Amino acid sequence: MKDCEELGDCPDARIEKLYDYLDGELSHKDLVEIKAHLDSCAECAKEHDLECVIREVVKRSCSEKAPTSLKDNILERIGQLKTAGH
Amino acid sequence: MGTPASVSEQLAPDFQLNVTLEQRRRSAAPSNGRVDFPPMNTTAPAGSSSTENDQLDVSTESDADRKARFERDAMQYVDQLYSAAMRMARNPSDAEDLVQEAYTKAFSAFHQYKPGTNLKAWLYRILTNTYINLYRKRQREPLQSHSDTIEDWQLAKAAEHTSSGLRSAEAEALDHLPDSDIKNALQSIPEEFRLAVYFSDVEGFAYKEISEIMNTPIGTVMSRLHRGRKLLRDLLSEYALERGLGTPAAVEGVKGTKQESAK
Repeated sequence: MKDCEELGDCPDARIEKLYDYLDGELSHKDLVEIKAHLDSCAECAKEHDLECVIREVVKRSCSEKAPTSLKDNILERIGQLKTAGH
Repeated sequence: MGTPASVSEQLAPDFQLNVTLEQRRRSAAPSNGRVDFPPMNTTAPAGSSSTENDQLDVSTESDADRKARFERDAMQYVDQLYSAAMRMARNPSDAEDLVQEAYTKAFSAFHQYKPGTNLKAWLYRILTNTYINLYRKRQREPLQSHSDTIEDWQLAKAAEHTSSGLRSAEAEALDHLPDSDIKNALQSIPEEFRLAVYFSDVEGFAYKEISEIMNTPIGTVMSRLHRGRKLLRDLLSEYALERGLGTPAAVEGVKGTKQESAK
C-alpha cells in the first residue's frame, strides 16, 4: 500500500479505494479490478487483511444483548400509547 | 494517550449526564404528536421485509393492526439498537432509556414509515435523532462539532501507521485485543466518527443509508469513515503495544511517532 500505486496516486486515495471496496460501494467493474489486484499484490493484500481484522474485532466486541427487561418495558410503554395518524 | 482505562476516565466527565434522562424527557422531548420521521429513501434489503407489507395501506390500518405490525417488524431490532445505544450513551442504564425512548417515538411515528422502505435504517435514524436531542441538548452544539478539533498530529500519526510494513504482525496483534480495549478505542474517537464507523462496520449500512441516518451528505459520511477508521486503527495499535502484543519493530515505530507528536 505504501509504494503500490495501483489503487491510487496517494496513500489517502488508496485507502479510500480499499474502504469503498470493503464497504461494497464500488461498481462491479472496479470491484473485479481491485479483487484481481489484491490477489496479485502482497502489500495491498496485507492492508486489506488488517482492515478486515479491525472490522471483525469491532463487530465481535460490539454485539451486546439488550437486557430481557428492555423489550418488555418497550412493549408496556407503547401499549399505553395511542397510535398517532388517525 | 494512556492506557485504555485512563483514556475512558479522561473522556468520561465530558459526557457525564448531570440530570437523568427522565428529567430531560419531561422538559425537552417533543410530545408524541409532534415527532416527524418521514420514510427512508433507501429500500429495504432483500428478504428483510415481509411481502404482505408491500400492499399495505397504512391509512386504513386499525390501531391494533398497526401495533401488531410494529411488534412483528420493529421489535426484532432491539438488541442491535441497544448495542448502538451503548456506543452513544456509554452506560447500560442510559442506553436502555435511549432505546426505550427511540422505540416510543418510532411507534408514535409508525404511520409515517413507508412499508417496503428500510425499517432498520429508519429506526436507527430515530435512535440517532433521539440521542442528539436528549443527550446533546445540554451542550447545545451540533453532532459534527468535534470534526475540526482533532489535532493534526493524530492524523499524521495514523498516516504513519498506514505506511509501516508490519501489517501481518499488526493484524495478528489486533486480533488478540480484548473486547474492552476495542470498546475503549471506539469510545475514544469523536462521536460522529465513532457512529459512522459503527454503522458501517458493525451494521453494514451503505454510505447512502448512513447519510440518511446521520442526516449528513454522503461526502461527509465518507470523510468521517476515513478519519474515524484511521484514528481507531491507530488507537488499537497502541493498545496492542501496551499489552505487549506488538513486534519490537512496531514498538519502535510508535515510540518514534510519540516523540514527534510531543514536539
